[in-house]
Amino acid sequence: MSLSDEEIRYLRDALSREPNSVELSMVSAEWSEHCSYKSSRPYLKMFSTEGKHVLIGPGYDAGVLDIGNGMLLTVHIESHNHPSAVEPYGGAATGIGGVVRDILSMGSRPIALLDALRFADIRYDNQARWLFRNVVRGIADYGNCIGVPTVAGEVEFDDSFKDYCLVDVACIGVVRKDRLVTLKGDVGDLVVVAGNRTGRDGIHGASFASRAFEGEEEDRSAVQIPDPFMGKLLIDATMECVGAGCVKAIKDLGGGGLACCLSETADKLGMGMLIDLDALHLREGMSAEEIMISESQERMLYILDPSMLERFKAIMDKYEVPYSVLGRLTGDGYLSIYHNGKQVARISASVVANAPLAKRKATKPGYIEHIAVHSRKPEVPEYDDMAGILLELLADPSIASKEWVYRQYDHEVGLRTIVKPGHADAAVLRVWPEHHDGMAADLSDGYRYVAVKVDGNSKQCYIDPYNGSMGCFSEACRNVACVGAEPIAMVDHLQFGSPEDEHVFWTFVESVRGLADYGRYMGIPCVGGKVSFYNETRQGAIKPSPLVCVVGLIDDDGRVLKGHAGDGDMLMIIGLTKDEMGGSEYYEYIHSMLHANVPKVDLAYDKSARDALLALASSGLITSAHDCSKGGLAVAIAEMCISSGMGARVDLGSVPSTCTRLDDLLFSESHSRFLVSLRRDDMDAVSRVLAGYPVHGAVIGRFGGNSLSLEYKGSSMSISLESMIDAYGSVTRLMGHGG
Amino acid sequence: MPLYRVNVLIENKPYISDPEGDTILKDLVIKGGYQQVRSIRVAKMLRLEVEADTEGDARDMVRRMCDELRLYNPMLSICRVESVST
Repeated sequence: MSLSDEEIRYLRDALSREPNSVELSMVSAEWSEHCSYKSSRPYLKMFSTEGKHVLIGPGYDAGVLDIGNGMLLTVHIESHNHPSAVEPYGGAATGIGGVVRDILSMGSRPIALLDALRFADIRYDNQARWLFRNVVRGIADYGNCIGVPTVAGEVEFDDSFKDYCLVDVACIGVVRKDRLVTLKGDVGDLVVVAGNRTGRDGIHGASFASRAFEGEEEDRSAVQIPDPFMGKLLIDATMECVGAGCVKAIKDLGGGGLACCLSETADKLGMGMLIDLDALHLREGMSAEEIMISESQERMLYILDPSMLERFKAIMDKYEVPYSVLGRLTGDGYLSIYHNGKQVARISASVVANAPLAKRKATKPGYIEHIAVHSRKPEVPEYDDMAGILLELLADPSIASKEWVYRQYDHEVGLRTIVKPGHADAAVLRVWPEHHDGMAADLSDGYRYVAVKVDGNSKQCYIDPYNGSMGCFSEACRNVACVGAEPIAMVDHLQFGSPEDEHVFWTFVESVRGLADYGRYMGIPCVGGKVSFYNETRQGAIKPSPLVCVVGLIDDDGRVLKGHAGDGDMLMIIGLTKDEMGGSEYYEYIHSMLHANVPKVDLAYDKSARDALLALASSGLITSAHDCSKGGLAVAIAEMCISSGMGARVDLGSVPSTCTRLDDLLFSESHSRFLVSLRRDDMDAVSRVLAGYPVHGAVIGRFGGNSLSLEYKGSSMSISLESMIDAYGSVTRLMGHGG
Repeated sequence: MPLYRVNVLIENKPYISDPEGDTILKDLVIKGGYQQVRSIRVAKMLRLEVEADTEGDARDMVRRMCDELRLYNPMLSICRVESVST
């Protein structure tokens, strides 16, 4: 059992008696950090959660956004770090299954997946390569099988993830406004579980995820087996039930199994449940405790009016999805659980669902001060060496092309993906209102265009969790802006080591503060998210790794920015490059140096820069836009050259900057910068638009030719397009062409 | 050096579910009229030909290789290495 002495006392007081063993396992599962947020809850209140598009904010299985035309967008993010570290293929695949079922729980159809992955250095570490290869395969196999495209993502490599990995998946769903399923229920309504048979898999998974990771052998029970075929049947059956209006509430059975699902549902409804475990379809003989906390995959809970049971059964039978009527809702607020004809638990749902808060101390860790004291700058490289450094950075697995990853994913199924991976900084989906069968209700209702991207930066968040986290949020917003979308909401996933460590906990609090400050200033609400603690390896806590998934909206097709720079187009930069080298790939990857000076977001400037870019995007005056982040200006220019298949000639002297060193100018990761390409004839018009915003903007070069030529104070270096493309393909080369 | 035949059988541990086997059982075998079949588990077999001094050496080498190259995940699967008499 994972309850603390204090929690057991609290439970005894709440019950005024000793809990029995079934009750204790239910409470242990639900009061785990993973399910209860007992350390993080008070801090999550810092987020601003309201906005004009928000219909439902945090606290449900998915956030719900009103995107107009009678359509709602649902969004959620989940991680499956511990299971993936043990069994990368199954762990990652079941992570996809889980987040998809969260989207289903709102009655919405899952239409797109995103993945954000973190591993140790795959260049030298066989285990990291094994994890990377199998995690990507797991995501691909599950996502491809269920017909939901994986449209965007990001991957970072850092040795704080040695023998471990972070596997985050976000899912976007769409539902007609009149079909949204929120939690409803009346006394006498039926409680039904459908999907896979319950077995002993993943027993204690939630408490496993709430403990430090101790390596493979000890935690065999955490292996989870994906069944994408059943996942797909559940999607189709659930969509048909929603279309037929025969369910009042839907909930995923995830971490903590029935114990968490039943108690949270009953508590939210303010009701009780009478549950007969003998009715449940099982794979093997199991005790009541085991049934309550089993985390068998591909199972869903439904609440329905008894009059709808025949209709519900007909739909489930049609898809051959097994189901069991477990019991019904009661008015007493108690979970009364029966097994083998005997009552084995009777406990208040609200007691189970509301864990007492864990008081955590937050103390600034000494390493941050240590980095500050020992920060120094490297020798300025010889001018001629800069080209070599740029090529090395392009081959840095954290920067290099992730084609090896996304080409394993079906990113087009469903016909919604109009901006695909590798084509721009964010994915763009065309969304339409639909019937349960996926057909458009009425195309004349008009399409809506949704941009999505997920971003993180563990290196910067380690050195400066406040500014690093804020930077991730800013970067995700910049990425959706680069396809012409206005950011309307975010979901976050906060991943840290043990909250019982006051130094780790301080980084968590700082990170939340950074994200909350950015969201409030920008008016971009948080509509959901997850917290994952106890991400510890044998070396200690992982680097703080908050992830931000931003959803943006574009009014019409004509405003989607999806082109590339054309031959002869001008290259312009918006924003100011500063000496902010802390956590940069240049310092960490090239020089193995930590530096305290992490890029800081100037909130007012950041907003102006993004507004300026969006104004340019909607004016149709620019041909493409690219965010300037990992690897800095030099890498961003090289990436534009690679994607447009041509070189460029750039005058670095005209870049707005406060840098005094060339390497700072080239590789600083200062925020709020965009590179845009534009036709030469539009230069004056673009300048007129930019003049309306208090931001720096300068034309710094021109596209064309077969090499990138960087000129600075009379000197010049030239790098062939071919060598840049070659360097940028390092991950594909390392992982092999076979996938 | 003599050539030995070695078979490697990789299957999910008995307490770990096997959706592929379940699907074959449910959708193919039982629907096809073979209700006597009670369970199906899917496994993967590799047939190797190995040069070694003795049969035992061949088996040991293959076992080492399976572990080192992670041809199976010990968390998930059982890996049996058997030599086949020629």
